Amino acid sequence: MDPAILIVILSAVGYSWLRMLAALVISILFSIVIGITAAVSKSLEKIIIPILDILQSIPILGFFPIALYAFITLHPTIGPEMAAIFLIFTSQVWNISFGVYEAVRVIPAETLEVANFLRLSIFSRIRHLYIPASFPKIAANLPSSWANGLYFLVACEIITIGEAEYRLFGVGSLTAEFMASGMVLESIVALCFVLLFVVLMNLLVFIPMIRVSVKYRFETYATEIPHAWFERLVKPLTLPIKIITHKPRFSESWRLGVELHKFTNLIIRHRRIIEVLTVFAMVAILASMINIKDLINFSQIISNGFSRLGIVEPLTMLGYSLSRVFIATLITLGWTIPVSIILYEKKTLEKILLPIFQAVASFPATLLIPFIMDFTIKSGLMREFGALIIVLLGTMWYMLFSLRGALSVVPREEEELFKLLRISGLKKLWYLYLPRMTPSMITGCIVTIGGGWNTLVIAERTSLDHILWEVENPGIGKMMSIATTLGDIELLIATTIWMALFIVILNRLLWRRIYEIAIRRIV
Amino acid sequence: MLEKIDETLLTLRNISFSYKMRKGDKLPVFDNLSLSIMFAEFVGIAGPSGCGKSTLLRIMAGLLKPDSGEVYFRGKPLHSPDPRISMVFQNPTLLPWYTVIKNVMLGLINEKELTDKEKEERARTFLDMMGLIGFENAYPAELSGGMKQRVAIARALVSHPDLLLMDEPFSNLDQLTAITLRRELENLWLNQILPISSIVLVSHDIEELVEICDKVIVLTARPSRIAGVVKIDLKRPRSRRSQEFYEYVDKIYTLLS
Repeated sequence: MDPAILIVILSAVGYSWLRMLAALVISILFSIVIGITAAVSKSLEKIIIPILDILQSIPILGFFPIALYAFITLHPTIGPEMAAIFLIFTSQVWNISFGVYEAVRVIPAETLEVANFLRLSIFSRIRHLYIPASFPKIAANLPSSWANGLYFLVACEIITIGEAEYRLFGVGSLTAEFMASGMVLESIVALCFVLLFVVLMNLLVFIPMIRVSVKYRFETYATEIPHAWFERLVKPLTLPIKIITHKPRFSESWRLGVELHKFTNLIIRHRRIIEVLTVFAMVAILASMINIKDLINFSQIISNGFSRLGIVEPLTMLGYSLSRVFIATLITLGWTIPVSIILYEKKTLEKILLPIFQAVASFPATLLIPFIMDFTIKSGLMREFGALIIVLLGTMWYMLFSLRGALSVVPREEEELFKLLRISGLKKLWYLYLPRMTPSMITGCIVTIGGGWNTLVIAERTSLDHILWEVENPGIGKMMSIATTLGDIELLIATTIWMALFIVILNRLLWRRIYEIAIRRIV
Repeated sequence: MLEKIDETLLTLRNISFSYKMRKGDKLPVFDNLSLSIMFAEFVGIAGPSGCGKSTLLRIMAGLLKPDSGEVYFRGKPLHSPDPRISMVFQNPTLLPWYTVIKNVMLGLINEKELTDKEKEERARTFLDMMGLIGFENAYPAELSGGMKQRVAIARALVSHPDLLLMDEPFSNLDQLTAITLRRELENLWLNQILPISSIVLVSHDIEELVEICDKVIVLTARPSRIAGVVKIDLKRPRSRRSQEFYEYVDKIYTLLS
């Protein structure tokens, strides 16, 4: 292998990383603004939370071509780059936003009362209370956001719409090129570099941040984060991030806060009016951006797409796609329940396995797609099988970590009680573990199914250079991918709306209810 | 200790125990500790906070293994939890997803010769004894702290154990509730309504111990040794205002300090 290729690979990974980093920074800033606003303002909460909920449950890739059009009309050369960052942003941001929202909402009433006594202005509240309080949630969500972003990195570095192909320099496009020209060794080297970068990113940035953030928690009981065996090796290297994130930031903004106090009091007093005005202004800005002609055009496009699709066809596609997602979720449940219990009960085994699971989980499965295609075709399996693997690789890890997390908060006395009553094995699973895991299992199912829909767009049909891969049966993701390749914007928008509506309705009518029932019984 | 092992209900002999800290450090809790619980005895355990009272109770229950030394229960070595020893924790530790009666029936889950109907019948008897009739189908979240602890006691008794271990069972309750529950328990035990032979009660409330125990074992600070064993020879019901009562309380406080 030519050593010059190594440099190409390294710089490709570097480029992709910069793209991801830009998206992550935007995600964090967005989340802080939106999350805090939703948590603090009762009336804006009613608008923001449902919108976030819908945005997080609809397939990102469906909107990507539309976003791409918009960004390219904005600027033809940096447009695709902005679109890519936008796509990565949409895959990273929602869990962080919800994290900030939850963290601010659960700030204990006493702490808020102290803030009231101190007559903190809204700005010093944000600085000294809301942001530090959401820091643990932000830190905890970074690894999974990063993994999500990586998953879609591949999809946004090469996009073909009709005749036009947009290719951004990065590890995603590079690996696809390598595979297309049969350079298997080079693509494996590229994958190894990605894995190395992922592990380093976790060790040097994310894990140290989580460790620092533990001190910011309100909970009085200590939840131990297990130290991975190799963490000790890189400990000195984590110092910079610890210093950056662990700097007490009091006092200097204090006086400013006091001076702003009168002004903010005014704002707080007229909060309602300001909120209404904000919403009004947002609507007005949106309205001014769209002129009537575009609006008529746009509605024409949508209605055309819908009439071309009909009703039976999209429902059939949705049915097939839904069963793919369901099967993937069942398989995920089937292995994560026993494995999370084994990890919980066998601590020494967990010390070895958990870091490995974490590294594998954060590795972007989409980079493996060329290999999975190759494997499925060569071994003569159904393509449905390959699609299932792609969906599983992208979605199953969340369940494992969330079930394992649920088990760590099983009270010690409950464990002792079961030992005293000599209840073990399946009975213990039934009486203790399953009930304790249920809330996380339901959230896990919602996340797995949501993620499943997203990955379907890739899993059901992908064209990488000259290789075309698609499942034998119909599927909504396949349809979206075909519409994108054809550059058929009418069809694309109609399909995306069908899928988004279906998912939102499913979430509202089914998952949300199951979750509420479960929570009521268990807490 | 001079008692012969087969004449005692439970004996700890030369127990040593330490907690392993990070970096391989050891925190010794007990060093060569011996004590016995006799049949039909109400034993209190007192000691400065952090001296390992709860740890001692968990060794008696077979939940923790001592580093060295032996535990004998009814003359036989005890290696793991035994159905004839049950325990009430500081927190009621009820499973929130089951009703009161199902929580109590959990104590009978390994009794294979009982039918479900018989289990329910027996659970009901003990709920009745603890004054909880009418709450069988309530969920733990609907009960007050004192009622939850009553359910936990019913669950500990339902399997007819010989030894009941109680780890500060009243310390999370308000004073009035605690006194009522303690009195009821004492009466049940004195009138031999309870199926148990002996009770071990860990508490940091010295007056509580003097009021209901036959003997109080006083531990020293870590690593704990036995500072002294105080036999309480007072007629029941004991009055907290009597001169002798205060002499016992003082005696224990002296041993503690």
